[in-house]
Amino acid sequence: MAEILGSFEQAVLLAIVRLADRAYGRAILKEVAARLERDVAAGAVQATLERLERKGLARSRLGSGTPIRDGRARRFYTVLPDGVRALNDARKTHDSVWRGFARPLKARG
Amino acid sequence: MPNPPAAAEALLLVLLPVDVRESVSGDLLEEYRESRIPALGELRANIWYCRQVGGIWLRAYWWLVVPVVLLLLVHDVFNTFRAPSGASYLDGLPKLALAAMSPLGVLGLLGLASAYGSWRTQRWEGGLAAALGVSVVAWLFMAVWWNATLYPFAQVQQSNPYWVHAWHWSTHRAAPPFVLGFNPDTPEETFLRWVFWDNVGALFFLGIAMLVGSCVCGGIGSTLGVITSRWRPIARQKP
Repeated sequence: MAEILGSFEQAVLLAIVRLADRAYGRAILKEVAARLERDVAAGAVQATLERLERKGLARSRLGSGTPIRDGRARRFYTVLPDGVRALNDARKTHDSVWRGFARPLKARG
Repeated sequence: MPNPPAAAEALLLVLLPVDVRESVSGDLLEEYRESRIPALGELRANIWYCRQVGGIWLRAYWWLVVPVVLLLLVHDVFNTFRAPSGASYLDGLPKLALAAMSPLGVLGLLGLASAYGSWRTQRWEGGLAAALGVSVVAWLFMAVWWNATLYPFAQVQQSNPYWVHAWHWSTHRAAPPFVLGFNPDTPEETFLRWVFWDNVGALFFLGIAMLVGSCVCGGIGSTLGVITSRWRPIARQKP
């Protein structure tokens, strides 16, 4: 059984998958905010990335900086095989829970 | 290129663990310059930046704010609701529990906050920022709490002989009426007004005590945290 992911963890991991080799902190922040259609705190993304690394679902490496960041290094993230497994499990559970329902649900009464 | 508020940026660098300091501060700086300044203008972009720094602080240390606030609340509630003789309902508790609920408990938690802060960031200043931050947030919470509970608590207090005696004692003896403008013999000098000024004074002294406590306990805790941070595992590549 893979790690059970929260919805925000799923959003961050999927952002890393989507961004591929461009997945660094700020790009992930923007991608997550765009997908969730709301403003997301940088601290929330950062804390989630730290947690995902601790759980062994993602890893990071340092890249080069750019002038707009005053030369400060970017940290690029990659999803590890356990992370991919956890995402697939989350999707399977989600689909299973929703099976048989027409989306969007209609309110009764 | 525009820069975020220097104090907020300095605080951010103190708050972040050494292995993500450069990348996270760089991400925020890039977002600030490339997206927020053009979209929001300088003032609102600065507010956004400060909010991000505050959020990062709160995510790291909220679990230390909670026990400090709870201790202060318990202390306040049992200080307000007393037996008519003035005895505290907590008096029957074991000495260790009483010590933990006294100001010593708060000082211990401030020491813990700073030890954790300096262990996490591997910087002495990181510990001090943690302890001072916990103090500031707890103090702000108490300011709101005392303001919100002033009226309902005073309703109960004024039926307790202990508090009525304290009101008269305080206004007649501890501070002469001409100093604070109190005169309980006049109709406009109410118990509620006295409780209000009592809370203001308590808030002032709480602020001073927590500031001093943060600096002293924070200094000791930070030193311990820096020493023990040598054994902190860092999975990531350092900048």
